[in-house]
Amino acid sequence: MIEDLVTLDKPAISAKERRISRLLLFFEDIVKVPLFRCKHCGECLLSTTAFICTQNCPKRMRNGPCGGTRENGNCEVFPERKCVWYKIYYRSRFFNRMSMLYKIKKIHNWNLEGTSAWLNVFRKRIEPPVWLVHKDKEKIKELITHDA
Amino acid sequence: MTLREKIESNRFVVCGEITPPQSCDGNVLRDKLKYFKDYVDAVNITDNQRAIVHLSSIASAKILLDEGVEPIMQMTCRDRNRLAIQSDLLGAAALGVKNLLCLTGDHQISGDQPEAKGVFDLDSVQLVAAAAGMNSGFLLSGFEMKKKPEFFIGAAANPFAEPFEMRLINLFKKIEAGARFIQTQPVFDLKPFCRWIEKAADMGLHKKTAIIAGIMPVHSIKVLKWMKEKVPGMKINEEYICRIGEAHDPKEEGIKIALELISAVKNLKGVRGIHLMPVMWESVTPVIIKESKIKEFNNMG
Repeated sequence: MIEDLVTLDKPAISAKERRISRLLLFFEDIVKVPLFRCKHCGECLLSTTAFICTQNCPKRMRNGPCGGTRENGNCEVFPERKCVWYKIYYRSRFFNRMSMLYKIKKIHNWNLEGTSAWLNVFRKRIEPPVWLVHKDKEKIKELITHDA
Repeated sequence: MTLREKIESNRFVVCGEITPPQSCDGNVLRDKLKYFKDYVDAVNITDNQRAIVHLSSIASAKILLDEGVEPIMQMTCRDRNRLAIQSDLLGAAALGVKNLLCLTGDHQISGDQPEAKGVFDLDSVQLVAAAAGMNSGFLLSGFEMKKKPEFFIGAAANPFAEPFEMRLINLFKKIEAGARFIQTQPVFDLKPFCRWIEKAADMGLHKKTAIIAGIMPVHSIKVLKWMKEKVPGMKINEEYICRIGEAHDPKEEGIKIALELISAVKNLKGVRGIHLMPVMWESVTPVIIKESKIKEFNNMG
């Protein structure tokens, strides 16, 4: 139960690995910063949120919007911006990736902040990205009714 | 009978809400309590509402317990990281607080100290899950506690903000994480609320959790307009603004509107209680409870 909620820091990050991580992050940034405004959380959620980075949210909400989205879908903190989760919702619906939004995301491991998410996937600290989602509607139905 | 027993035995519950004072004067709370004691089943204690410093919710909850009123302690993620949240929850449990409402918290920019650092280590879904984990005896570190805290965990839902379906997904996640009751934002527009609760019932969520509808009596047009402009994620029907604006006695009209909303909301399928939020107008609670006869009501649907 706790394992489903917290990203454990195992295996622990050694100094050598941090150095490799920094090098990899350079290449990762070339892709992720211009495309997704990556914030280097080291625990990439992009594939579950239809490739919009949740860490651009002022509250860094990883599980869904807060209650403050305005009527036009703008953020409560920065009224000139669109709510990150508003964008995620519409893009997920467009790409048929809604079932990914139903899963509870783990609590962020701040030790991974500033490390390369690609390396963390390789080291099995975080789950690998899901590229294709099949049978989206059936999956949602299954998730909703599984213990009813 | 505690709130948990009432909800588990399918009774219709009524909750109140008190904002602790912006000073160390506990008597302010005790004074306000006379409007709630024996009228409501439990009273929410806000935790630094709108990011403005108030008396802490744990201390306020303890004062309520001493006065013989059941508190629902709100816990936000804005001010605490995971260590502080867990230790505060353990402290609250040691003082005898059972009911917990997990919130993300307003962003500090809406308060009077926008320069503050917002923590947001957890979000509300994760906070619910963490509290549920503590109920099963484990801290987030995996340490097994000798005594379990036995919280009755709740969460908030906003049926009015956009996008509509994402709200239901969020609600689903909170219930999945372990929320046993859900308190909504104040209802000022029945149409979206009915639609939301219908969809939630379609998903079968009303059986897994007790949805408690928020009702906010307002005493002047100023409050209503302030909420429309300053509180994001609220839908307020123009009809109510007109009615209070044109009314001879806005206070009486405010009570009338609250009573109308209660009588409409209480019969909806899935609504298991009313959450009264008389912000800055606590004295109205006994009037509304008596006139709506909500205490004798039981929604069996």
